[in-house]
Amino acid sequence: MAHIPDGVLSFPVLIGGGVIAACAVALGLKKIGDEDIPRTAILASGFFALSLFALPVGPSSVHLLLGGLMGIVLGAAIFPAVCVALLLQAVMFGFGGLTTLGVNVVNIALPGALIGSLVAPMIQSATPARAALIAGVASALCVGLTGLLVAPALALSSADYMFSARVMIATYIPLMLIEGLVGGFCISFVKRVKPELLAGAA
Amino acid sequence: MIISRALASCLALAAMLTSAQAHRLKLFATLEDGTISGYAFFVGSGRAQDADLRISDESGKEIAAMRTDSQGTYRWKVPAAKTYRLVANTGDGHIAETLIDRARFSGVSTNVTDSTTGDEDGPASNGTNAAHIERIVDAAVARQMRPLIEAYEAAEGRTRFNDIMGGIGMIVGLAGLAMFAQARRRETKP
Repeated sequence: MAHIPDGVLSFPVLIGGGVIAACAVALGLKKIGDEDIPRTAILASGFFALSLFALPVGPSSVHLLLGGLMGIVLGAAIFPAVCVALLLQAVMFGFGGLTTLGVNVVNIALPGALIGSLVAPMIQSATPARAALIAGVASALCVGLTGLLVAPALALSSADYMFSARVMIATYIPLMLIEGLVGGFCISFVKRVKPELLAGAA
Repeated sequence: MIISRALASCLALAAMLTSAQAHRLKLFATLEDGTISGYAFFVGSGRAQDADLRISDESGKEIAAMRTDSQGTYRWKVPAAKTYRLVANTGDGHIAETLIDRARFSGVSTNVTDSTTGDEDGPASNGTNAAHIERIVDAAVARQMRPLIEAYEAAEGRTRFNDIMGGIGMIVGLAGLAMFAQARRRETKP
């Protein structure tokens, strides 16, 4: 769903996505401090492995995006993390594409970065239960936002690739629920076991 | 340490999930007796139902549009021996395409022209026994090859445990490289 393959998007959309992604990755790399490298790598590998696995839902099939979770923990470092993971998925599995790498990075990482940096301060001062709730809602919102970014990327490219609102609703709504649960569970777990991990979101 | 524990659980999870596969939309198409048929499927996770399917010829002109059924399958009777490009689109960002090359029409092309001229007696009556045999062989080969091609298509996009481990290893390596670079920078700075 968020892994748009090669040969689908038009040139301006690819260039636009590529430029935004390049700037965002540069910004993210700049913000990664010594302490942030291990957790960036762990979340990158988590995203790399988990988003490969999909379940059939309705007429289509969905997989985890983890945008909210990564955004909350990593902040701007989500961009290099997602970029590396998507690059490996494209090269190793033909999942997504090399030319669409920029657009896919933006679609997955941008909602996470925005919503994550917004809710991270709230989560820091919250109890684990509240943190889980906030993270769950944030994760679900990130999935929705990713859907809202994928739609215009396809629509701007070609009228042929019509976006079906019906399929979107049928696939993204269940995914939002799953992501909300996963994000909420992970954050409340980290909050209880290792709250420092959530303190230094770049 | 939490980081190594997290990494360990990541690995355990990946190991657990190896029976599942990447979801990537693929379009299977086969040519049998002048009809292109097949199905759209997600590698390892089911068929794409009610997906938009468009067929265009070499010039890029769209000549047919249809939707896959509840099993993700489609059928299309070929009007002439040309190269066809089939594009399936589920409507949520999954798009797959496949080509049926004109070279594959060798036996079928005669079949297509036969049926358009309304010749119901079969090619044997035309005295073109060779064409008749070619058509029978084509049909038999297509029928026998189909499961093989299906298995190949399904296997091609499959994610393997080794590949996933390789990817995770690559990310760990990159992180090591970044830490090395940062440590050096710190050393040279003061």
